[in-house]
Amino acid sequence: MDNMKLAKEKVGDFLAKLGKERFRVPQETGGSSRFAPLNGESSVDFTLSNTTVPLKSLFYPQTETLYRYEVGETAMKAPGEADEMIIMGVRPCDAKALTIVDRLFSWDPKDPYYLGRREKATIIGLACQEPRVNCFCTSLGGGPASTEGLDILMTDLGESFLFQPLTEKGEKICQEAGDVLVKSEDSDVQAAEKVHKDAASKIVRKIDSEGIPEKLPQLWDSQIWKKTSEPCLGCGACTFLCPTCHCFDIQDEIEGLEGRRYRVWDSCMFKEYTLHTSGHNPRPTRRERTRNRINHKYSYFVDKFGVIACVGCGRCINLCPVNVDILNILSQVKEAL
Amino acid sequence: MADLEKLRAVAKETVSRDDVKYLIGWRQGTYGFRVSPHFITEPEEADKLIFSPLCSNNLATYLTLVEKLPVPRGQEPDTRKIALMVKGCDSRAVVQQLVEQGIKRESVIIIGCPCQGVVDLAKVEEKFPAVLEQVEARWDDGKIVFKLSEGEKAVPREEVLADKCLRCRYPNPVTADTLLWEKVEAESNDEYADVGELEGKAPEERWSFWEAYFSSCIRCYSCRNVCPMCYCEDCILDRLNPTWVNRSNNISENTAFHLARAFHLAGRCIECGECERVCPVNIPLMKLNRKLTKEVREKFEYEPGTDPDSKPLQASYRPNDQENFIL
Repeated sequence: MDNMKLAKEKVGDFLAKLGKERFRVPQETGGSSRFAPLNGESSVDFTLSNTTVPLKSLFYPQTETLYRYEVGETAMKAPGEADEMIIMGVRPCDAKALTIVDRLFSWDPKDPYYLGRREKATIIGLACQEPRVNCFCTSLGGGPASTEGLDILMTDLGESFLFQPLTEKGEKICQEAGDVLVKSEDSDVQAAEKVHKDAASKIVRKIDSEGIPEKLPQLWDSQIWKKTSEPCLGCGACTFLCPTCHCFDIQDEIEGLEGRRYRVWDSCMFKEYTLHTSGHNPRPTRRERTRNRINHKYSYFVDKFGVIACVGCGRCINLCPVNVDILNILSQVKEAL
Repeated sequence: MADLEKLRAVAKETVSRDDVKYLIGWRQGTYGFRVSPHFITEPEEADKLIFSPLCSNNLATYLTLVEKLPVPRGQEPDTRKIALMVKGCDSRAVVQQLVEQGIKRESVIIIGCPCQGVVDLAKVEEKFPAVLEQVEARWDDGKIVFKLSEGEKAVPREEVLADKCLRCRYPNPVTADTLLWEKVEAESNDEYADVGELEGKAPEERWSFWEAYFSSCIRCYSCRNVCPMCYCEDCILDRLNPTWVNRSNNISENTAFHLARAFHLAGRCIECGECERVCPVNIPLMKLNRKLTKEVREKFEYEPGTDPDSKPLQASYRPNDQENFIL
């Protein structure tokens, strides 16, 4: 299908034409941002850089009811079907992260909750123009205009957005939009390419991951883990806000005779994450937990699913209160290998 | 004025002592304006220590955050001291930990750094966005000077200092084994204007204010973990049997968490502002803490962490305490 163009003043028409209730867009709540349903507004603020809370929260919410039950009864009530979603303004790193998490949730057993939402979602990406200081997506096969995981790539051309449909889902959206979108010129595509190139050149931080996945476990007893984990507070900011971290805990909540079983994000940086019933903890200090976080992303996940579980979005660096910096850890790892 | 030579010399001397396990100070971070806590066991590591307007971290939290592994049978526990660099506010945390007997006086060496205020990173990064190179900073007569690659930039302190520093009444360590340089002058007073502003609103308005923030909380517990006064070995939030606070993330459980956290700090919060600084979703937690601090100060004339010989608020009884607010 041809590339299309959406004039900025027609963003409202685009939302209305496709049905506002279907959209999820970056929104600020309190002092942070995340993807959420459009709330009554006719337009969207696309100037936000990456949202504080990554896109994963739409597919794999922090708290998710698996089923409901009544105490004393055997029947379980499954939650309803997933809503159809058009997610607009997704940064390429967050979309690429979904393709990584997909491998886990479609492994064994297939996760109907996550996959149900994935199937019904169309993702419209927005190429980055102003990468942040800690962005390092280009080191991990991504980039400010990476298309992995996207159905449409949108590029800001000043007065309008270029729409490049990438999949059938993306084409369908463009068709549904009808005359709200217009055909783009060759010059628009050239302009977009320039935007993409300029953005990529602004990414300064880098890591050469060559050799890390295979050799990382050899550094099991390295001083790196002690030194880099010393300032760590053991909070869950780095993992909860990581677009690829996916660990969860399963809990029950019962009120009267009504109960539900739900899953909730868990973090390997928490003390209770590996705490055994006996009181023994195989990862007793933040040293072991830090080692696990890096090993899981850069080695174990690669072993199992063939891809590094990091997209270089920089959130864990930006949001760590004590400057535990994954690129700094990885460069120490490289030196030690 | 911060004298780095003296600071490093004292650190070297301290960490060389046989009865000192390690020393905790600050070092330049990996990029931009960031600073990281620096743990040193060897004298040569002291050369990386700094003290500047970027040193926000309250290191007192590491006294109680340390995870002690069980001592193998036949071995003696390591009772060597931990040396700690403190600003005025940080020293209040140490004092309060001492008052509550959370730590023992003989197990710490307190190295005091009189402080002219530390920056609010958000304010700095708004002025100088996207800076990757490591930036040093210093105090200079009412200004904060940043050493950027394109040259030095001086900014009036009011524009970049953390709010807590602009009303700080305790810039000098209230207790210390060594004071590294001369004391600095305190701000005149703290009128709790920020608390007053919220108190002046209708309950519904106050609730919608907090509702937006609490519902955006991701329960990463960075506020709890960074807090030097949150050191219960068995935290109410980690309990599963009974589950006092459910793990589910929703406005009800999140509010329960935030109220529990704030109330457990009543009469104990020393206003270092670390909880608010570290929150990744920017919840203004100090507004909650300071409401309680204000109440405690007005009703009981008590300020935690100011006198090592005092008793904790909840453990002290004075016959002349006011009663007019008791229902």
